[in-house]
Amino acid sequence: MLVVRTMPTQLLICTLLLQPFCGLYAAQTTLNEVEAARLLQQASFGPTLGDIQAASQLSAEQWIDWQLSLPATTHSDKIETLPEQKTPVPLSRLETWWRIALTAPDQLRQRVAFALSEILVVSDQGNGLNNRVIALANYYDLLLAHSFGNYRDLLQQVTLSPVMGTYLSHLGNQKADVQNNIRPDENYARELMQLFTIGLYQLNPDGSRKLDDGDNPIPTYDQQAIEGFARVFTGWTSAGTSNFLKPKADYLKPMIPFAAYHEPGEKHLLDGVVLPAGQTPQQDLKQALDLLFAQPSLPPFISKQLIQKLVTSNPSPAYVERVARVFSDNGDGVRGDLAAVVKAILLDEEARSGFSGVARPFGKIREPLLKTAHSWRVTQSASPSGHIYLRTLADSHNQAPLQSPSVFNFFRPDFSPSATLQQAGLVAPELQLLTASNALNMQNHLYTQTVGSIEGLVANPTQYQMLARFSPFADVLQRQGLPTLLDQYSLLAFGGAMPAELRLLLSDLASGLGNISPAQKAAYLWYFILISPQYAVQQ
Amino acid sequence: MRHLDRREWLKLALKGSFGLATLSSLQLGLLPQALAAGRAAPDGYKALVCVFLFGGNDSLNMLLPLSGQSLLDYQAARQSLAVAEPIALTPRTAIADGLGLHPALAALEPLFSNGSLALAGGVGSLIRPTTLAEVQAGKALLPKNLFSHNDQQATWMRGQDPQSPDSGWGARLLELMYDVPDFSSCISLAGTNLWQRGAALSPFGMSAAGVPELTALKGSSKRAALLRDMQNRLFSAQQHPLADQFALSHSQAQSRSAIVATALTQAPSLQTEFNNANPLALQLQMVAKMISVQALLGVGRQVFFVGMGGFDTHDAQNTVQPALLGTVAEAMSSFYQATVELGLSEKVTSFTMSDFGRTLSSNGDGTDHGWAGNQLVLGGAVNGGDLYGQLLPQRLGSPVDMGAGRLIPALSNSQLFGSLAQWFGADQSALQLLLPELANFDPGAVSLFK
Repeated sequence: MLVVRTMPTQLLICTLLLQPFCGLYAAQTTLNEVEAARLLQQASFGPTLGDIQAASQLSAEQWIDWQLSLPATTHSDKIETLPEQKTPVPLSRLETWWRIALTAPDQLRQRVAFALSEILVVSDQGNGLNNRVIALANYYDLLLAHSFGNYRDLLQQVTLSPVMGTYLSHLGNQKADVQNNIRPDENYARELMQLFTIGLYQLNPDGSRKLDDGDNPIPTYDQQAIEGFARVFTGWTSAGTSNFLKPKADYLKPMIPFAAYHEPGEKHLLDGVVLPAGQTPQQDLKQALDLLFAQPSLPPFISKQLIQKLVTSNPSPAYVERVARVFSDNGDGVRGDLAAVVKAILLDEEARSGFSGVARPFGKIREPLLKTAHSWRVTQSASPSGHIYLRTLADSHNQAPLQSPSVFNFFRPDFSPSATLQQAGLVAPELQLLTASNALNMQNHLYTQTVGSIEGLVANPTQYQMLARFSPFADVLQRQGLPTLLDQYSLLAFGGAMPAELRLLLSDLASGLGNISPAQKAAYLWYFILISPQYAVQQ
Repeated sequence: MRHLDRREWLKLALKGSFGLATLSSLQLGLLPQALAAGRAAPDGYKALVCVFLFGGNDSLNMLLPLSGQSLLDYQAARQSLAVAEPIALTPRTAIADGLGLHPALAALEPLFSNGSLALAGGVGSLIRPTTLAEVQAGKALLPKNLFSHNDQQATWMRGQDPQSPDSGWGARLLELMYDVPDFSSCISLAGTNLWQRGAALSPFGMSAAGVPELTALKGSSKRAALLRDMQNRLFSAQQHPLADQFALSHSQAQSRSAIVATALTQAPSLQTEFNNANPLALQLQMVAKMISVQALLGVGRQVFFVGMGGFDTHDAQNTVQPALLGTVAEAMSSFYQATVELGLSEKVTSFTMSDFGRTLSSNGDGTDHGWAGNQLVLGGAVNGGDLYGQLLPQRLGSPVDMGAGRLIPALSNSQLFGSLAQWFGADQSALQLLLPELANFDPGAVSLFK
């Protein structure tokens, strides 16, 4: 009955007719505050009252179109060397990332690029990238530049990125040297297929695995294909290099080819495709990427992961299929149009009404980084110096942009933490980050950033201490009372759907706290929301 | 603080002494459970410590031939990646052309000599004994997704074919030995992992620094009491399954961390030095501390998980691998010394696992994903100073080379796990349940313990 009550008529009709194109219903009507807040949960680093107001003037599609039209706020040009440093350090890059996540107008692009950074993974943890601060930011800018571009172009740029070339060791990879038992490096070939394009098993358009006659999943590639692709990615090294064996250190410009170090022979790839001998490095690379890009598994493989990172961990197969079809063809015959894919993900009926209309448990666990970003945005947190320079974030969050422990990201899209969830067929990827210590460290971090950092109450803030502005919420509490404040928090944290038992608990908490300042009370209530299991799931 | 025995500790704990005043009634309720789990235990105390080397250690390069044709083959296969100046070992069972240790593992040499370090040679994930002819004919029953990092990590952690729900042999071992294993029997210093996930069990994930205390709940003020009550209410059961998992994790994190933190206040200070700059050593130092208070926690059996990454040496292997192996050797050696100091060296066995071995052939300055490798098993109960399994020939085109120097294992990792589990206390029926594929191999082939 809840479904009927909250569902607009158009959607009800759509649901009854089960028409896939009906997913676009929401595009037509102006968003109310609740709908705007829900969209912003999925499409930004967390809704603020200001952003909700702005979006409420528009329909969902108009808001997305507006976001798509905004230029990218790039990172590499905004890294600052802090007074105590001579050159930018890894924390300087994270400092920039935070400033942009909190304040940049192109929120959707920043959120999509963040999702892409967890699929097309590079990391400064090992592999010679530790202090390559600008280079890593430049890679992030590459993701931003292509977030609404074409996935094929993105693959090309990622493949030729010297940062990726260093991370997955195809920079300087050379043709076989039979006499010395040297073969081409297989690293990039393998991870490109397993993680960046098609995955281990052939997929149906709805993301489920194709099965053979014996009901077994069908591998997408074998070792021979790995070796074939490894031969493709030979003969590339840093831009500006004149002697292949003595590469010039350039971590910014795309890698350049050296035909003399490129494997000249045939390359056996997928589906019986064999690249002929004697092609240039550019020809081989183009044809190999074209082949992967054309694989039918690629659209559901990438679409489902983007859905999981933006909207819900356990999308219905039909939702995956609707998005994958847009990935395959944006309607104008273009494959891999990420703007169209992002739009399809966010305007789908499951994304817009999933919390009430779908039988599968809807939503996803909020990553620690997204929680902090949201809280800081809501409370307009800033430090006296204007910088966001915290050394302890790695401990509490267990993650940081471009700092994954391996190319397999901080968490796998199929991670399921318990037998209970596995038996229900559910995954909760982000919970792979969660240990007991991390749970408590994160709680302490959120406590510090709320109750412990109230602007005006911190006596002598250090230059990098983030101060949270609770005064607007204190005003609401004082002038309009607790129910109004809880309504506002409900809008910000739950798209207006704060569960009743949580609301009751917060009311009890507020009365239990007794006679403390309104700002403190507002901070305690917000802290309890941030650590609550209900808020943990973005719905 | 004087050292308390477990009974005294528990009594004090239940009365709310030494810091336990901050525990809620919910948390205190869990203490008898810890006690009950201890009572059901098999006799005595034993711990298994898994040291996971993420990325696929080129472990064939840890054990080297010293002379003769084997050495020539090794140098021909490895070319610029061949390791010079290995440390000569004298295994109890002589090996043709000798057995050398990678010089970066020097810290382990005395442990091999004194008989506490055993080497498992030519081991990998196998479903049944497999020959090159079968592989070439496409008739071999091979583990799925050989050479894929996460899949092969999972084969080492599972010890069986994937099941639904998925589980690891570390947790299953405990669940086979105890009705309800206590949380403190299953501790990870390296995050969530499949090895320690069972039907109900999941690892208690702490950090090398110990366990944190919740800032908001510190002290005994009325405010702290209110927040504690509210928080207990907050982390109650949830309708949404993901939220419920989150709530359960958080309520357990809080109560269990309080128990562990209190137990750790009783840890004796260890004289054994652990290198502060060695992250694996710091993890193992915390394991040693946890082992030092195992009697207070009341668990008769514990499995610990530690790990480090960086072993995926596609690049710069000649500089990267020695540094990594040095880190491992230093950390494991310090840990062994700590167990000696605690008088528990015969109760604690540490061992390595890794995704896979690597190719004998080079890709220029590194190696690619392979299959068979070698592993280390260390402890006072280990019948060390010897190599178990086989020192596979490091020769391209050998009868175990499936191409490019990806070697077919001679020993199944389940044989290695079987020996570890048997020492830990699993009986024959438990072993069959734990490692179903063990039935495909000679069960007596590997017996690592005295």
